[in-house]
Amino acid sequence: MSASNGQPLLQLKNIDTAYGPIQVHFDLNLHVHAGEIVCLLGGNASGKSTTMKVILGLVRPLRGSVLFDGRAITGLPTPQIVRLGIGSVPEARRIFAQMTVRENLLMGAYHRKDRRAIAEDYERMLTLFPRLKERLHQRGGTLSGGEQQMLAIARALMGRPRLICMDEPTMGLSPLYVDRVLGLIQQINAHGYTIFMVEQNAHLALQIAHRGYVLQNGRIVMEGNAQALLNDPEIQDAYLGEKQ
Amino acid sequence: MESFLRTFSDQTINGLVIGNIYAFIAVGLALIFGVGNLINFAHGSVFMVGAYVGWVCMTWWNLPLAVAFVVVTLVCALVGVAIERFALYPLRGAPPIAPLLATIGVSFMIDQAVQLLFSRNPHAFPNPLIEHRFQVGGVTVGAIDLLIAGVGVAAALTLYSFLRFTRWGWALRATAQDREAALQMGVNVNAVNRMTFAIAAALGGIAGLLVGMYFNTVYPTMSFQATFKGFAAVVLGGLGNVPGAVLGGLLLGLIESYGVAIFGATYRNLFAFIILIAVLVWRPNGLFSLKPRVTQEPLTGTFIAKGRPVPTPKWLIATLIGVAFVVPILAPNPYLLQILTNAWLLGMVALSVTLVTGTAGQTSLGQAGFMAIGAYASALLVLRLGWPFELSMIAAAFISAILGTLLVFPAFRLRAAYIAIATLAIGEIVNQVILNWEGLTQGAMGIAGLPPPSLLGWQMIRPHEIYYFSLALLCLAALVQWRLVRSPLGRTWRSLREDEVAAQAFGVNLNRYKTLAFGVAAWLAGLSGAVTGHMYTYISHETFTNTTSILALTMVILGGMGNLLGAIVGAVVLTALPEVFRGLADYRYLVYGLTLLLVIRFRPQGLLGTD
Repeated sequence: MSASNGQPLLQLKNIDTAYGPIQVHFDLNLHVHAGEIVCLLGGNASGKSTTMKVILGLVRPLRGSVLFDGRAITGLPTPQIVRLGIGSVPEARRIFAQMTVRENLLMGAYHRKDRRAIAEDYERMLTLFPRLKERLHQRGGTLSGGEQQMLAIARALMGRPRLICMDEPTMGLSPLYVDRVLGLIQQINAHGYTIFMVEQNAHLALQIAHRGYVLQNGRIVMEGNAQALLNDPEIQDAYLGEKQ
Repeated sequence: MESFLRTFSDQTINGLVIGNIYAFIAVGLALIFGVGNLINFAHGSVFMVGAYVGWVCMTWWNLPLAVAFVVVTLVCALVGVAIERFALYPLRGAPPIAPLLATIGVSFMIDQAVQLLFSRNPHAFPNPLIEHRFQVGGVTVGAIDLLIAGVGVAAALTLYSFLRFTRWGWALRATAQDREAALQMGVNVNAVNRMTFAIAAALGGIAGLLVGMYFNTVYPTMSFQATFKGFAAVVLGGLGNVPGAVLGGLLLGLIESYGVAIFGATYRNLFAFIILIAVLVWRPNGLFSLKPRVTQEPLTGTFIAKGRPVPTPKWLIATLIGVAFVVPILAPNPYLLQILTNAWLLGMVALSVTLVTGTAGQTSLGQAGFMAIGAYASALLVLRLGWPFELSMIAAAFISAILGTLLVFPAFRLRAAYIAIATLAIGEIVNQVILNWEGLTQGAMGIAGLPPPSLLGWQMIRPHEIYYFSLALLCLAALVQWRLVRSPLGRTWRSLREDEVAAQAFGVNLNRYKTLAFGVAAWLAGLSGAVTGHMYTYISHETFTNTTSILALTMVILGGMGNLLGAIVGAVVLTALPEVFRGLADYRYLVYGLTLLLVIRFRPQGLLGTD
């Protein structure tokens, strides 16, 4: 899937990030076009999750800029970035455990004011996620991990984002749910949502993504078409653990 | 039997009414703890502001009660927002102990401001309600009881609906449960924080108004009691648990009411403190929680800021000591000497705080309790058993070390903010026991006629004599402590401060080293208390209060935690400052509170740096 007008929806330019004396990103560049699924791969402590935090304004980079739809959003407060149209499926889901499933869903639309459209989206989520419909009045914390992941995705969709950032959406899920979540990501992408996801499980992520980046010690060491990355022997060695 | 039943049901009504007010206070504390993870020591001050605003509305302006309620609600909400905005918001990102200390500073300032505006004396609060008491099935109920119950139920329903059905209520709950996730939903968590303070402060203010009407009086010291009753209720219910806070408040009210009926009115305040400690120690998650343990705080919660100590060459310290010793010769002004003597004696307490809090990392707000133990021990040994002062002073220090450590021992498993509350409560318990153990301590009368300090027949009566004595003690204490913190023992203490779990993993027996730290600290504070008591010649349960404890901690923060010279400099500055600028003496606590706020914000490592 290529860009329609050439300008990426999200662009990170020359990002350097540090936590105190420890530098996390070194001149990070990446972009996501509207309609794409792009995945960011890398091992532990490679700086993947920090990339998400930079995009969402939770961590401010030392240098460089984040452009969303051509507009610089670097350093804006998180709520404002969310309002501009970036939705988040956080690492470890971060469901509001003491709030009901319904309340969690509606929290996703917190920044929206269009009540009628919110109600429509809410109904749509219940059809899309019948499992959640059964548990509407249960507390979020009582759901299983897989159900929580579904809820986290549905919650992000409730914000009608133009870009959804997903941080390790398959982490800690049973194999059955891993497949379901990946299928779901493809499905919502087909509905026109642009997705940027961080994943440790490179093999799975590349199966559904259009393009991918490989992050190593804070530097992008490889990028390209998902299929090409899947077939790259170096990737297979280092990240896929397949030495057939 | 019937009269017993009558008393029992009357006490139950009493307890529920008072408990209702405690619930108001506790709900505010629980909301603030839930959303901001902060223990708000200024909450009682807002409560008092509510009482005074209500009093002004009704006595100065003759406003109807309903209008007074509205005014109190609005003013207190504004005060709450101001506290959040000016004292706490600038500290976001600082270690959790920093905002806690800031609220202590704020409470000092508000309390003193109220005293300055309305005097220290209590004012009579008119009761605008009809003085009619109803008989309902053998139980007497007054109009004020019904009003309090009604307001309580109305507030609970309003708050419940707000949290449950409104957008902002959801934002508040979401922020309390997961701040970062709430941010990612587009919630402006800073605004939520401020709103929470507004709600909590409004509830606290209403409670103040109700208490004023119930007891027909308002007075400045109602603030601290309210904070503590609130803490006790909130801890009973589980920190951050709003329905739990309501139940905790009602329960505390009932316990107090029955307790007073059984033991007598002077025991009233003891129950809250004992409950506070007992629940913190045995069920830190509250009575209504299934999980018995509190979620652990970040391991290094004590230090405000890491920093290197400002280098102090030996010649400088020698010069300072030399100057201190020639002051009585160069400036034999009894007033000056008296102030500096106070500074030396408080300096010893500050040293004890810097040891336990700065070096060993256990925030202590109970140091005045140890002083009181020392003072009473020495006084009783001298007056009852005829011991000489030099012996009684040493014995008092050991008694303080032993009793103090035993008192704090159950709280050893607590950390950071919890140990701060527990030690503050322990200091308060000591005073309450002194007040109530009349056979030993003469209760509220206090002990008068303590002989002045003496040494081998040398009676220290003139100002310069006690000056030299206390200065010598301070230097000796500082020297010993300096050796201690430079020894392997000091290194072990610092390892507790940095990371208890890691220290334990390296085989450090936490309880043993905390015992040693609190033991030494209580020894030193007890010694200071003994000398202070004999210097004053009169002591009572109000001589060594929590204010002294907080002042000692403020000195340490000002000088730099763990920094011995810093503790002494802090003691001198804070003791002398209000006296040097004579006009400031009336504003003493404003100065202390402001100092605390400014240091935490602009120089968190203290004047001389942490060590």
